[in-house]
Formats: sequence, C-alpha cells, structure tokens
Amino acid sequence: MTKFLQTLMDGMAVGSLYALIALGYTMVYGILKFINFAHSDIFVLGAWISFTVASMLGWAAADAHAPVWAGPLVLLTAMAACGLVGFTVERLAYKPLRRAPRLNVLITAIGVSLFLQNFGQLPFVFGAQPQRMPSLVADRVLASFSGVQVRLVDVIGAGSAVALMVALEWLVFHSKMGRAMRAVSYSTSVASLMGINVDRVISFTFVLGSALAAAAGFLYAMKYPGLNQPAHTTWVLLGLKAFVAAVIGGIGNIRGAMLGGFLIGGIELFGAAYLSPQLRDVYVFALLILVLLVKPTGLVGKAVVEKV
Amino acid sequence: MSDALLQVDAISKSFGGLRAVTEFTLRLAPGDLQGLIGPNGAGKTTVFNLLTGVYTPTAGTISLAGRRLSGLRPHRIAQAGMARTFQNIRLFGDLSVLDNVRVACHLRVNRGVLSAILRSGGSIGEERAITERARSLLRIFNLLDREAEDARSLPYGDQRRLEIARAIATEPRVLLLDEPAAGMNPQEKIELRELIRKVRRDFGLTVLLIEHDMGVVMDCCEKITVLDHGVTIAHGTPERIQSDSKVIEAYLGAPASDLPPRAGGGR
Amino acid sequence: MTLDQRRAAELAPSRAVAALRSAAPLAVGLGLALALHLGLDASDLPFHTKVLVDVGINVILAVSLTMVNGFTGQFSVGHAAFMAVGGYTAGALTYYSSLLLWDSGDQHGGFLGAGEWLFVGSCIVGGLVAAAAGYVVGLPSLRLRGDYLAIVTLGFGEIVRVILQQTGNVKFTADEVREAGFLDTATSLGGALGFTGVPTYSSIFWVYAFVAITLLVAHRLKFSTYGRAFLSIREDEIAAEAMGVRTTRYKVLAFVLAAGFAGIAGGMFAHQSGATLNPRELGFQKSFDVVTMVVLGGMGSISGAVAAAAILTILPELLRDLPHVWPAGVLVLALGLAFGGPKRARFALWTVGVTAAIEAIRFGARRLGVNLADYRLIFYALSLILMMILRPQGIFGVREAWEIGPIGRILARRARRAAP
Repeated sequence: MTKFLQTLMDGMAVGSLYALIALGYTMVYGILKFINFAHSDIFVLGAWISFTVASMLGWAAADAHAPVWAGPLVLLTAMAACGLVGFTVERLAYKPLRRAPRLNVLITAIGVSLFLQNFGQLPFVFGAQPQRMPSLVADRVLASFSGVQVRLVDVIGAGSAVALMVALEWLVFHSKMGRAMRAVSYSTSVASLMGINVDRVISFTFVLGSALAAAAGFLYAMKYPGLNQPAHTTWVLLGLKAFVAAVIGGIGNIRGAMLGGFLIGGIELFGAAYLSPQLRDVYVFALLILVLLVKPTGLVGKAVVEKV
Repeated sequence: MSDALLQVDAISKSFGGLRAVTEFTLRLAPGDLQGLIGPNGAGKTTVFNLLTGVYTPTAGTISLAGRRLSGLRPHRIAQAGMARTFQNIRLFGDLSVLDNVRVACHLRVNRGVLSAILRSGGSIGEERAITERARSLLRIFNLLDREAEDARSLPYGDQRRLEIARAIATEPRVLLLDEPAAGMNPQEKIELRELIRKVRRDFGLTVLLIEHDMGVVMDCCEKITVLDHGVTIAHGTPERIQSDSKVIEAYLGAPASDLPPRAGGGR
Repeated sequence: MTLDQRRAAELAPSRAVAALRSAAPLAVGLGLALALHLGLDASDLPFHTKVLVDVGINVILAVSLTMVNGFTGQFSVGHAAFMAVGGYTAGALTYYSSLLLWDSGDQHGGFLGAGEWLFVGSCIVGGLVAAAAGYVVGLPSLRLRGDYLAIVTLGFGEIVRVILQQTGNVKFTADEVREAGFLDTATSLGGALGFTGVPTYSSIFWVYAFVAITLLVAHRLKFSTYGRAFLSIREDEIAAEAMGVRTTRYKVLAFVLAAGFAGIAGGMFAHQSGATLNPRELGFQKSFDVVTMVVLGGMGSISGAVAAAAILTILPELLRDLPHVWPAGVLVLALGLAFGGPKRARFALWTVGVTAAIEAIRFGARRLGVNLADYRLIFYALSLILMMILRPQGIFGVREAWEIGPIGRILARRARRAAP
C-alpha cells in the first residue's frame, strides 16, 4: 500500500509536467495542424535558462541560500525568455511555410529542434557539460503517513502545474483571446474572414505553449536537479513522451492533453515500480499504440469524417 | 424484375440523427440513361456514395446484374462494374493526364507486382495494352494532345471530361456522373450532351446522371428521379417531371410557413 | 473482366528481348558497383570509402522510404526500427555463424569468399525479417491516417530500441554459443552498449550492389501499373479506391517492401567498418534523418531521394573542414545559364548569392580563428530550414531528375512522337 501510494504520488508529479509540455504540443496542433517537434527543446531551454539565471544570481554556489522569491523569479524569467524564443521561431521558421505541405513544416520543426539543441551546446551558451540545478525551494518532507512522504518540491511542482493548467483553461474557454484561438483552430480562413488577426493568434499560441514548456522545464529541474547537456537524448525522450500524452488524450484537445499527461506519468511509474524499470518507455509507447488502434483520434478526440 | 442491371432496393442512410437518404429505390435496365435531380442538400451525392461503397447503407440492398454490392469495399464495387465521377473534381492532380486514365485501367491487370519488378515480357505487354487503351480513350475525349500535362493544370471543362474518361477506363457497366456540366460554358455543355450519348452508345453503358443544369438533364435522360430531403418525390419522363406539382414546389418553394425545416448540408 | 489479354500478348516483346531487358540494368548496376569498388581500392582513400558506404546505405534507406512516404503518401517515421530489426538479425547471423563455422568472429575469406556470401545471405534474411515486421506493424496501423500513422510508427521504433537495449551481452566464443543454445544466443545482442564484434563486410561493392537493386526495384515499381496505383493513393485515396485500386493492400505492400529494404540497409550498417551496432543510433532521430531525405528529395522522386541522401550525408562531413565552393558555384552557374529554362536569371542570382555567402563565412571564420567544425550541426539545421522555406517541393519536386529541365523537354517530345 505504501508503495502504491508513493508511486501514485510520483506518477502524478511527473504526469503534471508531461501535461504542461503536452499542452504546448496540443495547442499548436489544434491551430496549425502540425507536430511541433521543436517543442521539447523549448522545454529543455526552460530548464537551462532556469539554471543560467540561478547561477548568474549566485544561487548555484554550494553554500548559497536562495531567498523565497528566487523560485518564482527564475520561473517567470524562464517563461518569458522561452516565450520570446517561441515567438521568434514561429515568425522566422514556420510563418513562411503557412501554405506549404505539412511535411515541410514538420521537417522545418526538426531543423529548428536540431538548431536549438546544438546552439545550446555551444561553449558560450550552455556548454556541453551536465550541470546541477541549485535547489531554489527549501525541500523538506511536509507530511509522512505510513511511510509515504509528501515532499514540498512535489507539492509545489504539481501545484504550480495544476495552477497553470487552470489558468490556461480559463484563458482558452473564457477570454476573448481564447475564443479567437478556438475559432482559428476550427478554421483559419473563416476566422480571418471574421476579422480575427490569425497571425497574432498563432504567435500568441506559440508564446503561451513555450512559456508552459519553460515552466515544466523549471519544475522538472527542481525535482531532478541533474541537468544533462541540451542535446542529450534523455531530454528528447521526455519531450517525446509528453507528445505521446497529447496524442493519447486526443491531439488538439486541451483537456485531453492534461488527461494524457497524468495517464502517461501514471503508467510509466507504475510500470517501473511493479513490472520492470528498464521498460518504462515501452509501457508509454505500447499504451500509445493501443489507444490509437482502438480509438484512432485519442481518448477525448473527435473523429473527422471526410466529405466526398 | 430480372431485366434490371442495377437494382437499388429501399436504401437508407442516416448520419447520427440526420436521415440523409430514406428508402431510395431505383432500377436501371441495360442501356438506360436516367437522371437524378433535386435541390441542394437533397441527398443526391449521398446516393452515389452509397452506390459506390463510400458509405454503407443503414438499410436496403444494392445489386448489379444480380450480384449484391451493398457492404462491399469501393474497389470491389468498381471491379464489379460501377464507376463514377465526383462533384468536386477528384483527379490525381500531380499525375499526368495519361496516367490518370492508366491508373483506372489498373484493376483489369493480371500480372502480379513481382512481374512488374522483373519487368517480364507479359507485364510489358500489359503495360503497352494499357497505354494504348488509355490513349484511345483520350482521343475520344479530345485530350490526347494534353496527355503529358499534369491533371491539375487542365482547364476546368477538360478536368470534367478527364474524370469521365478515367471512369470509363475501369470498364464499367454502370456509369455514375455527378454534375458533369458544373462549371462548363454553354458550348461545352452542348458538347457534353453529345459526349454522354456517344460513350453510352459506343461503350454500351448504363448511365445515372446527377445534374443541376435542366437543359442537359431534360435533353439527355429518358427517365428522371427527383429527390428532396432524401425522399423520392417523383419519378418519370422529363415531360411528367416538368409538370409535377411536388417537384415545382420543392424547387420553387411553397409558402414559407409550409416549408419543413431544411436539415443538413450538401452531403 | 480483365484487360484485353490477346492485345497484351501481341504487344509483348519476344521472350529473349524481354529477358535481356529484364536483366541488363542489374548487370550494368553490378558492373558499376564493381568498378567503383576497384577504383577506390586502387586510390587508397579510406575516409572517402567510409563516407561513400554511408551514402550508399542512406540511399537505400531514403529510396525505400520513398516507396511509403513518397509513392503512397503514407507518413512513416519508424524506418530506423526496420533498419534495426534487419541490422541486428543480419549482424547476429553473421557473427554467431562465423563463431560456429570458423571459430572466430572475424572476417573470413577474401573478396567474394565464403565470409562475404554468409554476409550477403544474412543481409537478405535480415531484410526478410524486417519485411515481416513491416507486415505485422503495417497491417493494423495503415488504417490510421496522416499524423496518427506517423506517431504509431514512431512508437514502434522506440519500442524496438528499448527492447534491443535490454538484450544480453555478446558471446565471444563458439563454446559459449553452443552451451547457451539458440534462444539465449539470439537475445545476446549487446544491450545498450551495442553489438560489438560484427565482422566488417560492407565493402563498396556490396553496398552499391544493393543500391543498384534498390534503385532498380523502386524505378520499375514506380513506372509500372502498380506504381501508378501507389501514386494515386497519395493523390486522392477516395478517388483511387473508386477507380478500383486496392488501397489498403497496396499501402501494406509498399510498407512491407520499404521495411525489407530498410532491413537490408541495416545489414550493411551492421557490417560496416569502425561502427558499432547500437540501439541509440537507430532511434527516431535516424528515422527523422531518412524522412528529411525523402522530403528534401521531393515526394516520390527516386532521383531526388538519391540526391538528398548524398547531400545530407556528405554535407556534415564537408562542414568539418569547409572547402572552397566557388569552383562548384561557377560550374553550376555555367550549366544553369547554358541549359536553364525561363527562370535562369533567378537561378543564376541564387547560385551567385549562395556561393558568395558560403565563401564569406569561410573567409570570416579563417580571419576570426573560429573553427567551423564546431558549428557544423547548426549549419546543417539552418540549411534544412532554409531549404524547406526556399524549395518546399524538394530538389526535383514530384518528378524525376530526367523529367525536368532540358532532358525532360527532349524526352517529352520523343514520347509525343511515339504516341499513335
């Protein structure tokens, strides 16, 4: 029982991060109908920018004590920086391809991803050495019952993730910009006829998704402080699993992405705890294939009938 | 009963709660040229989609020369001898005009894929026979001198004619034409009427024609079926259809208060 | 009802002519491979040989994926997985058979010796196993459309990679193998560390012999009635089916064929000199590389896929030590001006611009003492993005190299004259 509860908690903690990243994938897909493979690199960028900001402010030293406001400050900086990167990438790389076949956009996304990875690895950017993220949150065990530990890091992590998701939900379904986003995702051409500035909505979506990914990067670095070099495959795999979460939930669907994130986190950690830890990626991808074969549009997705 | 080539018995189709076609019944004798008309959204194209297996009917049966077709995949139905054109032209845009027709000859080949890879004598012979046949069709449709062009680069009227040529290349017994005159100029429309009559005669085809252009329908078809809201409201010769009060009502509309709510788009 | 078979028989060439026409291209291909092999052998350039082997393997991969992504328009990003299946099958077969037969995992026999035939046999078996895997994956998943198919193939690729990482250590002696039995040996593939010790057999000759076979099959397929049926699925699946094309069957067929050739490419990869068969190298990033080659080459263009595979393999190597590009620029400019169509002025401007830009970068780097090799992957990424923006239809578009430009115009004229 202890093991079960512990796994459940860890699963939810990881799942909330997957969900945050998945939201970016799903929002871009919903609007532009393409898989933004560079999204996982924005997440990595978020983690690394968090580290850079923290070390620039002198919190990375071994004996440094970060003030309480350090965490929020670093988080917001990373979100803002990544939002800017997302905006720039969309303007420079994707916008010229608005009318191109989707495969081209996909290859461009792969190019952007390669660029971000290798640029981040340059000696004057982040470097090719792994780093250790300083702990900006005083981690302690908040409560402990029958062996299950509730850690502050996890509570803050999952809490912020859920708070961001609630904020996004409000934004998309109850604000003017959200209505414009939904209109554009329904039909770009009709939305533009209705006087919606489509380019602005798309830019906004990229900024929003990138900021969420940056937040996930920060929270991830809080929980797992060992930062791999930006081009390391573990990062790519993390991003890929978040993408799987978006697909399982039904890509293009915001609530589906959240559901998928928690589902993936759960299945990964339960599989690792109860079956075999080496095969954790297999569970995720097997679940993906299973879901798609049974319900090709994901759990919450809607089927689209082609008109003849 | 037995002399019918195409026998459609009370087929229905609903999408969710919407009944697109209700108990549609039709008999085509060999060599018939019948018309299917009705206002926009009446369910005409849905009937074609049901006949060609794009949709499966919720109820009713379709049989061609005594062979049951309902429930078969579209390619099996094409093989059984039913070919169609599409209302919103669906050519293979990046393929050449010649290749568009040659694709449609594919279902009649005998040699396997291994033979094609080895390029055996037999496959070369078939390939040449296909090309010969495709070119002879293109000549009939006056498209031979454009055979190397991409299908998407053809003018609109040529695209419509290429679609008909492609459908005939499958060697059908029944040909379904979905608004072939749409977008054509008056001169092209006149030529189209001649062409429809000519291919019916030369290829021994049975034709079912959806058309909005009443000139074409009334001039070509021996019998006409009128659909409205998925229901057959009239069936008969052009003269009878033209004077049928229900048909006039469906097209011109009754007083607004008597109109049933119009559901659905142009499926 | 079938095609007029009597007419087909009349039009068929005589048996001798047909046999000759069937076999001649392959003979020419093998001859060219042999000539390349002997030529490089004599010139003693090991680095170029290594790059050329890589080019050959990538050509097989790109051309085979063209059958799926380019011909039928399906979107698979799991090609590396089939390469892995074929590569591990072939590598294990060669290595463990060598241990049992000759008591050593090293090369055995010289050119066209027993060892090489074992290698060829293993590669073919690897291709067959990969094709079988393609059937198993393709049959259920090809009913998915577009991106969803891509995701499933990607997931499959990752599963293959993770499972390969869990395999046991490689066995080193024949006795170990005999003791362990078949099943244990078959799962001793080196795990995450990679399968070391596979003997080196992938010479220029063998790689290019298989390149020739792949090209021949792809070309004949494309320009046959089956190829047109494949292409029609890409163009419009619903119309294709209405014209009697068995869409599901052909999608699976293309998928299986492509997987088989990817498996053979994997076999070549496994027997390469100085490379370790490692699951990490056969993950989705490798699949992406191949998809990139196909898209850059132009959807469905075989010659485009070949060109793109060569460019994308050689480009990162060139960027290690950027050479002068102006001679190539001048050559391209001259050819473009001599044979170019109506857009030759624009083409010339582009050529001059790109050449000048590269030379400027090269000059600047020299002056500032920057080592460009450190930036090569960044350049690679940027050129990928630029190529997609500037030439979205790929190098040759959907056509083949010989169907466009001056040669294309001549061929088209001839074809028109030949028409009845």
